[in-house]
Amino acid sequence: MKRARIAHDGRIVWTEAIENGTALRLPDGETIAAADAIFLPPVTPGATIFALGLNYASHRAELGFKAKEPPLVFLKGPNTLVGHRGTTPRPADGNQMHPECELVAIIGTPARRVPAERALSYVAGYTIACDYAIREYLENYYRPNLRVKNRDATTPLGPFVVDAADFGDPQNLQIATRVNGQVVQKGTTADMVQSVADLIAYLSEFMTLMPGDMILTGTPEGVHFCAAGDSVECEIEGIGMLENRLVAAP
Amino acid sequence: MIAGTVYGVVLNDHDERGKLAGAFSEPPYKAPPKAPVLYIKPRNTLGVSGAPVVLSADLAEVEAAATLGLLFGRDAAKCDTASALAHVAAACLALDVSEPQANYYRPAVRQRCRDGFLPLGGFTPFYPALPVGEIVTDIDGAEAHRWPLSRLARDAATLIAEISDFMTLAAGDLLLIGLPHDAPRVTAGQRVRVTCQSLAALESHFVREDAL
Repeated sequence: MKRARIAHDGRIVWTEAIENGTALRLPDGETIAAADAIFLPPVTPGATIFALGLNYASHRAELGFKAKEPPLVFLKGPNTLVGHRGTTPRPADGNQMHPECELVAIIGTPARRVPAERALSYVAGYTIACDYAIREYLENYYRPNLRVKNRDATTPLGPFVVDAADFGDPQNLQIATRVNGQVVQKGTTADMVQSVADLIAYLSEFMTLMPGDMILTGTPEGVHFCAAGDSVECEIEGIGMLENRLVAAP
Repeated sequence: MIAGTVYGVVLNDHDERGKLAGAFSEPPYKAPPKAPVLYIKPRNTLGVSGAPVVLSADLAEVEAAATLGLLFGRDAAKCDTASALAHVAAACLALDVSEPQANYYRPAVRQRCRDGFLPLGGFTPFYPALPVGEIVTDIDGAEAHRWPLSRLARDAATLIAEISDFMTLAAGDLLLIGLPHDAPRVTAGQRVRVTCQSLAALESHFVREDAL
């Protein structure tokens, strides 16, 4: 099943995507066209949001990192999220702002000290994130620092959550970003340094992962700086396409 | 008890910044910090006064940094210092527990985000003149640490203004306003009590995981 979280008639509802994602079935059975829906980030309120830096071999090389180290994990607040077809503000001095298409694993079962071999059975589903970075704001303290990675509405998420039960191997998916139709990132989740299962094992070794918690698993190579007005599409095989537009920050 | 996100700030202790002034210009930092250096304490870390803090076998001792938490009553976005504190609805004491780590280069998720590593005291209504001069930490009944909030490099209003310049501190979020660099270390079997004038006291006892 593919699900989407939308705003409808003054409240938030989870819907089921039908007819190839072109229509959404509401909890009361009513059906609406996906084109008319107001998509919200498919997140459980309160969820912990983990993100990974430097988790694709190609992107590590591109940025000049070599040795394998412990996973570079950071956390994000819900203020960063914005739904499918939403907008992301681009600051006037953010000339090095670039999109990062990422596979997101959503936890379904409390996980503590789960070995990698069993870790995928703790995943409820998968979605797509575009974890924008603005390199001008990088500082070498708790890097990537929150001024880079925790800005409002800089992490488009969605549109759909695909149930893990309907999903094959998460480590063999094509992943791509297009800016104004031009491909700027193209890779495969097979290139992750730490797989989804490895990451669940790593995190759950020292803390409890709870249902709804999300892991943004990092991005492949392709640093492309964007301008206000750019249309950005992030696509992952088997999940769908997440659309976003950059607007000039006031 | 906390519906929003808990944000904390490191390197906001004036004494610590003085000690590290030389290191700030060396690798890996290369330049002193400009923006406030923030971290997030996720929901699994939240605990309440009176509950045990559980230490797993790999932790011989932990740092127990007492601080003040400010709970937002309304969203603070791009606010100035004059209006910053008007967004705060309540205050509490917090004990930010972490595995000791001297390095600030990478986010300290493993060190700071273990289950139960943020016990909170009860909330008191906040008003700008709330007296919060010194936070005192007792361990096993004896005073172990005391720090005046005059040590903060950025006071609460300045912090809120500078953070809200690039992200919204939302209603329901909690901001921990800084950690003392000389926070005491505790180990399993010890009891910690944090007090600060009229704020509700916070008590935690530390236990070894295999003792549960």
